[in-house]
Amino acid sequence: MKKYDDIVVGSGISGLTMALILGMNGRKVLLLEKSPRIGGSVSRFYKRGIPFDTGFHFTGGLDRSGILHDILLVLGIRDLIQPIFLSEDKAHCFFFESENRLYEIPYGIENIKKKFKGYFPGEGSSIDRYFDKVRQVCAHTPSMNLRALDSSLQLHLEEDFLSLEDVLNGLTGNNVLKALLSGFAMCYGVMPKEISFANHSRMCLNLYESVARIKDGGDALIRAYETKFKNFDIEIQCNKYIANLEDIQNKRVGRFILNTGEEISAVNCIFTIHPREILKILPEQHLSKAFISRVSSFESSAGFFSVFAVLDKKYNDSDFDSTIVSIFPHTDVNLLLDPANTGASALVIMKSIEEERGKTYRTINTFEPSFFEHVEAWKDTKTGHRPQSYMDYKKERVEKIIGRIVNTFPKYKDRIKAVDSASVLTFRDYLNSPDGSAYGVKQKISQFNLLGKLPLRNLHAAGQSSVLPGIIGAMMSSFIVGRTILEKEKYNKFLNQNLCN
Amino acid sequence: MTEQEIIEITNRVFEESFEIEKEKLHPQAHIFQDLGIDSLDVVDLVVALQKSFGVNIRNEEKVRNIRTLQDIYDFIAEIKNEKERQSY
Repeated sequence: MKKYDDIVVGSGISGLTMALILGMNGRKVLLLEKSPRIGGSVSRFYKRGIPFDTGFHFTGGLDRSGILHDILLVLGIRDLIQPIFLSEDKAHCFFFESENRLYEIPYGIENIKKKFKGYFPGEGSSIDRYFDKVRQVCAHTPSMNLRALDSSLQLHLEEDFLSLEDVLNGLTGNNVLKALLSGFAMCYGVMPKEISFANHSRMCLNLYESVARIKDGGDALIRAYETKFKNFDIEIQCNKYIANLEDIQNKRVGRFILNTGEEISAVNCIFTIHPREILKILPEQHLSKAFISRVSSFESSAGFFSVFAVLDKKYNDSDFDSTIVSIFPHTDVNLLLDPANTGASALVIMKSIEEERGKTYRTINTFEPSFFEHVEAWKDTKTGHRPQSYMDYKKERVEKIIGRIVNTFPKYKDRIKAVDSASVLTFRDYLNSPDGSAYGVKQKISQFNLLGKLPLRNLHAAGQSSVLPGIIGAMMSSFIVGRTILEKEKYNKFLNQNLCN
Repeated sequence: MTEQEIIEITNRVFEESFEIEKEKLHPQAHIFQDLGIDSLDVVDLVVALQKSFGVNIRNEEKVRNIRTLQDIYDFIAEIKNEKERQSY
């Protein structure tokens, strides 16, 4: 029987981070991935030689004072990553079809405040109060500071129990301003009436401070981890997962049985997969009904219907740069993230210039909120074997989306070509996620997420459902669990060695 | 909500969600030593109480100081009273 210190299950950004933290601290790590390759939703896919991003598109926190910058420094991979900062004065644009008006959102909180006050001259004090509140929440949040992490500190602020919607209603009566301030809900997939103001703030602050893409997308991150792994005792095994837990004594698992029948012994096992998938692995007789009910009651965040498109090579659009444009048909963000919405939907359009094997591509990736409910009719079908009705559904949705892109950018008419598309089912099947959602479980007000030690005490949970969605939240969850496993003193030493400031 | 109702609902959480025998549920029972809850179960307990009473429980000092069933009854009564006061 092979022996390891730690098994890490799932090789998305959280699993990669977890494996590296443990490996860098002298532990023997086995990283298991169910798919044929590592990376999860961070990895890109290639169609006709053109690279497209699956789940990672842009991030905050890469500026010198940003948290992601610090995380990458600690992991020793900051120099392997090349950020491409979006245009500071209009990184993110919102177009409201109901108002027929475009709003450009810069980054840098002072820049945003100035711009907003120009758009909404009578709302100066509510704009100030909003950003003060966001900053205050984040300043009091330990999971936003590598040095102050503590897994026991979920839900400790008053703003953890106030919805984003209620807080905004208390600040202003201006619906367009409210929609702009909640527009980043597309980056966590939860309605303003369901997300706490605290979690909204934690997700948004980094994006308010800077917005960047990474050269070569998520693949650059994965390559950086792989490069680092070689220096440590970290073994990757793909097409493998844990099928059974054996030798359970005193709430600890002694032996881990893989799908291949192999038996592994390890001190700890960290699951960075969806909480519902974790629940399936844990033997029921070792769980309280309270635990099962808590995990089962987690809902799904929004998913997306995605269209991956490219501009005609012969068309040289000199204005083409990396920007994010969100088209909202109206200002009701709750409705835009409601699975029952049958009216017009939101579109998030990401333009980026990609270079691959000496060729330059202008890609346009578009994301429309979508939910498992939309594809439930085909839930028992698998990629490559879907019926014609599903193909028709996809085709119709692609055509509609391309039509709306052309409406917004008329010069792309006849020059934009859809190369591929993905429904919630596509994401479910390629990423082995139970629901195809983009952000794991829905982060609802007063919800205690699954983070850290599980009912079998040498098993731990991390990942984007544990703290906050997105790569920063997923990575932070691995630091939190890493701190538990390494223990405080060793963890602090590790930080101090690698974080010289 | 009466004190008796609080006791009944709390005890039901222990019986149904943690499968603890009814006979063990007396007010002075120590939830860790007598009822076999461990510190990591506390989150599940809090979530179950939130659901049963329809209240939000903040992760704060008072929760971390809970030791006996009576502590829970008092804690819930306090939150419930607070909530009722606010709704007037």
